[in-house]
Amino acid sequence: MTGRERQDRRAAIAFVAPAVVVLAALTAGPALWIFWLSLRERLPVFGVDRLTGFGHYAFLATDARFWSAFRVTIIFTIASVALELVLGLGVALALRGQRVGRRSALSLLLLAWALPGVVTARVFEWLYYPAGGFVNVILGTPLNWLGSPTLALPALIVADVWRTMPFVALFCYARLLTIPAAVYEAAAVDGASRSATFRFVTLPLLGPVLLVTLLFRTLDALRAFDLMFVLTGGGPAGMTETLTVYAYRSLFQTLRLGFGSAIGVVVFLLVMLVAAAYLRVLRRQDATA
Amino acid sequence: MTLPDARNILTAAAVVAVVLLAGCGERARPDGPVTIVFKHARMFGDDPVPRLIAAFEARHPGIRVKTEALGASSDEQHQFFVINLEGARGRGAGFDVMMLDVIWVPEFARAGWLLDLTDSLAPGELAGHFPAAAEAARWNGRVWALPWNFNVGLLYYRADLLARHGLSPPRTDAELANAVRVIQAAERDPKLDGFVWQGKQYEGLVCNALEALWASGTTLIASTGEVLPDPARAEAALARLRGWIDAGLSPAWVSAADEELTRRAFGDGRAIFLRNWFYAMDLFEEPNSPVRGKVGVAPLPRLTEGVGAPGATGGSLLGVSRGSRHPEAAVALARFLASEDAQRVLAGGSVLPTRAALYADPALVAKRPHMPAFRDLATSARPRPLTPAYLMLSTSLQPEVSAAVVGVKSPARAVADARHQLEHALSGLR
Repeated sequence: MTGRERQDRRAAIAFVAPAVVVLAALTAGPALWIFWLSLRERLPVFGVDRLTGFGHYAFLATDARFWSAFRVTIIFTIASVALELVLGLGVALALRGQRVGRRSALSLLLLAWALPGVVTARVFEWLYYPAGGFVNVILGTPLNWLGSPTLALPALIVADVWRTMPFVALFCYARLLTIPAAVYEAAAVDGASRSATFRFVTLPLLGPVLLVTLLFRTLDALRAFDLMFVLTGGGPAGMTETLTVYAYRSLFQTLRLGFGSAIGVVVFLLVMLVAAAYLRVLRRQDATA
Repeated sequence: MTLPDARNILTAAAVVAVVLLAGCGERARPDGPVTIVFKHARMFGDDPVPRLIAAFEARHPGIRVKTEALGASSDEQHQFFVINLEGARGRGAGFDVMMLDVIWVPEFARAGWLLDLTDSLAPGELAGHFPAAAEAARWNGRVWALPWNFNVGLLYYRADLLARHGLSPPRTDAELANAVRVIQAAERDPKLDGFVWQGKQYEGLVCNALEALWASGTTLIASTGEVLPDPARAEAALARLRGWIDAGLSPAWVSAADEELTRRAFGDGRAIFLRNWFYAMDLFEEPNSPVRGKVGVAPLPRLTEGVGAPGATGGSLLGVSRGSRHPEAAVALARFLASEDAQRVLAGGSVLPTRAALYADPALVAKRPHMPAFRDLATSARPRPLTPAYLMLSTSLQPEVSAAVVGVKSPARAVADARHQLEHALSGLR
């Protein structure tokens, strides 16, 4: 390293330092505090505040409600993100192919995404209303959408897909617009079919954007809260209770600060794990690109 | 002459000190107007609270009252209070008088957030309230809040349909089942449901479950602290909830229904029977209501003849923050608002009073003719378990009862799991 490089390096550290300090204070600080809380039994209402070590984690390992919430969180995440991705991509492709009314289609799309979660939940409450709700009238069925142990989670997934698919569509659409027409012309000259063009031209070019979108959506879905909290309260039979709903109930409704924090730490670790996995894939792509 | 001079100077200094001290004291003039903050949820329709506050201020010229609205849902309100009161740690939390849900009083009292009102009250001050309302104000032998408004679970029925088919209001499950079958067979209306109640996984389900437990002759928590002390009767209670759905007396959708969903179904004329609270009656009697003049009220159906079926109680109380800087003014406001006169004004709006006498008040009865019928229901009503751990119990119980209602767990399994969950929730307290 030359003297100049060393000097640059010092300057770089000085420039980066404020951001690192702020990030540490805003994210690492609370995370460490939550972790410390999770090692305690703290019940402010009862004046209880003592160390329990990993007692809460030991209970969670055998807690049927926790594993149910874990399962619900994973199923919800995989199903809703997969559907959002496929539908979002489809909508983006359709938008690109559309000749008129693109702008209004875009605004309509954004409307769903711009609605606050609780409003979306209320809209779907009305749609799923068992007697005379829109969905049952259209389907001509008396299905018990939110009250059936088998239908409630799919019903919530549909609501989530409706709400966040536009986010995926918008990202993909923006990337599609930047693909030069010449690439497609070249493909056409080479005699590529439509499906071959999609598979060998569009999809690879969309790849990095898709991955970033996937990352955002996965992290969001892992922390899903508002739809289930409003629509089903986690029921029936806890079949739609996610980890964050369980954590909220423990932390804010019953003020079991230690126990609730332990669930929070699990959610945090889960999110970090998934984020790390995605970042690895992204980095590898960068390296090969 | 130096000595007197020194004395003069000392005297002057003392005078200055006294004046300064007095000046400091004057900043908290005891006779000047003090401002207290009243934190409460808005009432439906024409809100009588501002008028009551004005009347209070006119009577207490030294006190100004600032009202601040709470969030709409009970969950939001609870969260607001616990965050602010726990954060304040006994110092002023920014409010003095607070509207409390009936299930929070023991919790807030145990946490040290409420001022003990016992010695501020006149002897027998709680005597005018219904027993269940007064009971919810006490914990550990002390009074922590004043009952303010009331709700009781009861059975609404379609009086017109029962009369058309020669039936009287059902007193037991058997009579209710018979009435549903007779009416549904004769009316031939596929959109007319039988008995609707609240089966969604939330606090309302716990109210329905408690009522079922009581009708089975048992309870959620025994005086010894044991949870679900009689598992066999608890199983019978859960089996009964599921049984209503299995037998087709209740539609399957009650498993996702809350108060409003069931109230709308019954209010639109699509159900024969409804379990709901007092508040629903005013809405059924609104001018454009399809069931106006067709609704009767009765106690909840009994499981067996010999065991009563009291309704659970809801409603709110007024508590004073222990960190209040003006406790006397705050207590005065709470007592004023809970008084019979103030509750009479409130009862002119959309809430129901906790004072038994008002249910026979001619002016009120003229405006709300159903009030006398509520009086007996309110007298025999029963509060939800009065324990600081109530919300822990309830949130642990909700998924288990819901599992029994939708049939993914047998009643026996749900009761066993609920006992396990509740024991764990309470274990941290020991």
